[in-house]
Amino acid sequence: MKRFAKIAIVLLSLVLVLAACGGGSSNSGGSTSNTGGGSSNTGQSGGSSGGSSGNNQQLTELEVVLFADGTTVKDLALVQDAVNEYIKDLVNMKVNFTMISPGDYVQKTNLLLSGNEKLDLMIVSPFFGYHNQVARGQLQPLDDLIEQYGPDIKRVLGDDFLGASKVNGKIYGIVPMKDMAAGTGLVMRKDLVDKYNIDISSIKSLWDITPILKVIKDNEPDVTPIVPSSNAPLLYHDKWYDDLGDGLGVLPYYDNDMKVVNLYETPEYAERLKLMREWYNAGYISKDAATTKEVHLDLVKAGKAFSYFSPTKVGLHLQESNSTGREMVVAEYRTPSSTTSTVISFMWAVPLNAKTPEKSIEFLNLLYKDKHLINLLSWGIEGTHYMKVADNIIKYPDGLNGGNHPYNVTTRWQFGDTFQAYTLEGTDPEINVKMDQFNKSAAKSKALGFSFDNSAVKTEVAAVTNVIDQYRSALEAGMLDPEEKLPEFISKLKDAGIDKIIEEKQRQLDEWSKLN
Amino acid sequence: MYKEQRIWQWISHIVMILLSLAAVLPFILLFVSSITDESTLIRNGYSYFPEKLSLEAYRYLFDHSDTIFRAYGITIIVTVIGTSVGLIITSMVAYAAARRDYPFHRILAFLIFFTLLFNGGLVPTYLLYAQYLQIKNSLLALIVPYLLMNGFNTLLVRNYYLTSVPDELIEAAQVDGAGEFRTFFTIVFPLSVPILATVGLLQAIMYWNDWFNGMIFITNPKLFSLQNVLNTMMTNIEFLATTSTSDAASIIAQVPSTSVRMAIAVIAVVPIFIAYPFFQKYFVKGITLGAVKG
Repeated sequence: MKRFAKIAIVLLSLVLVLAACGGGSSNSGGSTSNTGGGSSNTGQSGGSSGGSSGNNQQLTELEVVLFADGTTVKDLALVQDAVNEYIKDLVNMKVNFTMISPGDYVQKTNLLLSGNEKLDLMIVSPFFGYHNQVARGQLQPLDDLIEQYGPDIKRVLGDDFLGASKVNGKIYGIVPMKDMAAGTGLVMRKDLVDKYNIDISSIKSLWDITPILKVIKDNEPDVTPIVPSSNAPLLYHDKWYDDLGDGLGVLPYYDNDMKVVNLYETPEYAERLKLMREWYNAGYISKDAATTKEVHLDLVKAGKAFSYFSPTKVGLHLQESNSTGREMVVAEYRTPSSTTSTVISFMWAVPLNAKTPEKSIEFLNLLYKDKHLINLLSWGIEGTHYMKVADNIIKYPDGLNGGNHPYNVTTRWQFGDTFQAYTLEGTDPEINVKMDQFNKSAAKSKALGFSFDNSAVKTEVAAVTNVIDQYRSALEAGMLDPEEKLPEFISKLKDAGIDKIIEEKQRQLDEWSKLN
Repeated sequence: MYKEQRIWQWISHIVMILLSLAAVLPFILLFVSSITDESTLIRNGYSYFPEKLSLEAYRYLFDHSDTIFRAYGITIIVTVIGTSVGLIITSMVAYAAARRDYPFHRILAFLIFFTLLFNGGLVPTYLLYAQYLQIKNSLLALIVPYLLMNGFNTLLVRNYYLTSVPDELIEAAQVDGAGEFRTFFTIVFPLSVPILATVGLLQAIMYWNDWFNGMIFITNPKLFSLQNVLNTMMTNIEFLATTSTSDAASIIAQVPSTSVRMAIAVIAVVPIFIAYPFFQKYFVKGITLGAVKG
């Protein structure tokens, strides 16, 4: 009897503890639901804004993940309310935005996707494992939905850009209308360019850069003439070839009759390495360029470096000036071209968990059509977050700047047809027109739209990537003598199985070109 | 004999001094970097004697006080609630597992031990908390998962009860008419202050330093703890440094400078610094608990 009583007490206390937990969680759910935090259906319909309850039809709720650093965007809830107010009558929907910052993006979205959570629209990217997500069946194919619900998406993007995300013939991602191409440029400090009267229009190829670096080396002993950008190999951005996704097997000059070759075996690559060796020996590249972890922007900011390579786009010099805190100029020595990589860098996708994919596409379609909505998301609420100066030009209200603005979403390129967005006073007012021309003038790679599925050669890819990590940075920074080390590099690549990767890529590319 | 002892003393002192320096110097460097002028920092690297000092980083923190100090507040709340609730639960479970006259005490102890060896893995854990208990995006998500009750701490406390609280004491209390709760709170609890202080400190540090729960369960930046804010900054910078696309580069309008990151680390460390000396004496006691006693 006594023992029975004890067991009863244990059970009772367990029940009490569980009950307490349940009570606590429902309270906190209520307090956060207005910020779009609640994750379950019941939580949302219970706690969130009661204002729309008078509507005769049931609103469809969408969970949308944006790619942005949410810690700096304080007025997201305000803008979300404005968006919901605006689209309520238009499409009878309600959206909840969640901002996930780039550093956490992979981990958080992976949990959301594998946790079967309600998620209707999100940003995906090859950097974040887009192709793996497709392979695992976590994203929905969108072709039919776009056909039916996304007429404006089709109109704005056109077949080339819309089809670029295709995997096995199906579209899984929709790119925002942004810059779709990239050239290669040398970004330089304007003060030094002016001081030594450097003619940046004379730079037409990699070889034309040498005399400029020499001038800097001879006259500015404290400044390193050129530094690698973003810890990448020095020539990473010098893309005279289509990298076909991963750079293992490339298409030189964006055509090459669709014949995939090994970049590191091409005579062009050997020539470039020779030039880099010259630069290194002349002291244009710092001795630790291959191993340094210092960010190029910081080095320029501190006055320690003169230039670095960058993929080009319209308005690049403004962006770089902003990042380095110094006025910069860009010499674009390779004209822009569109490849699958440049086009599908970031895309909208509908996860498998979305119960109403047609509504997701319907909302996304608005982002390619509705100027008001695009600007609401890009710049916030007129009067609160920006003032209109002219038709398409805006400025921040007094006292606000990029640093303390409560709704400064720097990744505006994700909001659909970004060419309809306003431009900020002080930046190039013609940027949208120029961007459009930039996209249209860019040479399209013959393999635009082809994506490589590397699942058949996974082990080879890992081995080859290891070899590349070991040699490429050092070779391209001129630290190793290419005469001696390049053949060694190539033979190690062969041992690691690069030929098998190229063969597989060639096979897939042939298949792809037959279909297109 | 005497000389030998002195040499021994010298050696041990030198070793201890070196060890202490190895522990203290990084903190000094951290602090000095936080008050170093940003461009000096980039040009000359970290240095104990910077060319130029600047309080710019701390001014930045005050300018962004709504983010930073809010996060600071979250961290404090989470640490205080988590540690006190955690201590109560830990000590009560450990007490039950230590009472030999409780029929399931062995099973209970085994179950606690079991959690040290096995757990559900990340995705199932996430599913449980996010979907069944629905504590995503709430303070509970920062308190409950992984941290609230730790098997290792519980076993530590249980062992203390087994070895240092005699059964006779509990019997005596019950003979005097104390109920279970009274026995626990007025007899056992005061006797176990040293171990509870030790475990409490461990737990407080865990809460203070935790960013993992925040990264997994929190998407609302208003609920970010200080470590989350710091971690987000670091991972964003890392992302920028490894991803070469101009679209990604636009994500951070102004990357917080190195000295700002140092300054945040400094204000995150200070409370732990202050708390340590107070716990020190219990801590030493707690470590020597296993030693044989007369």
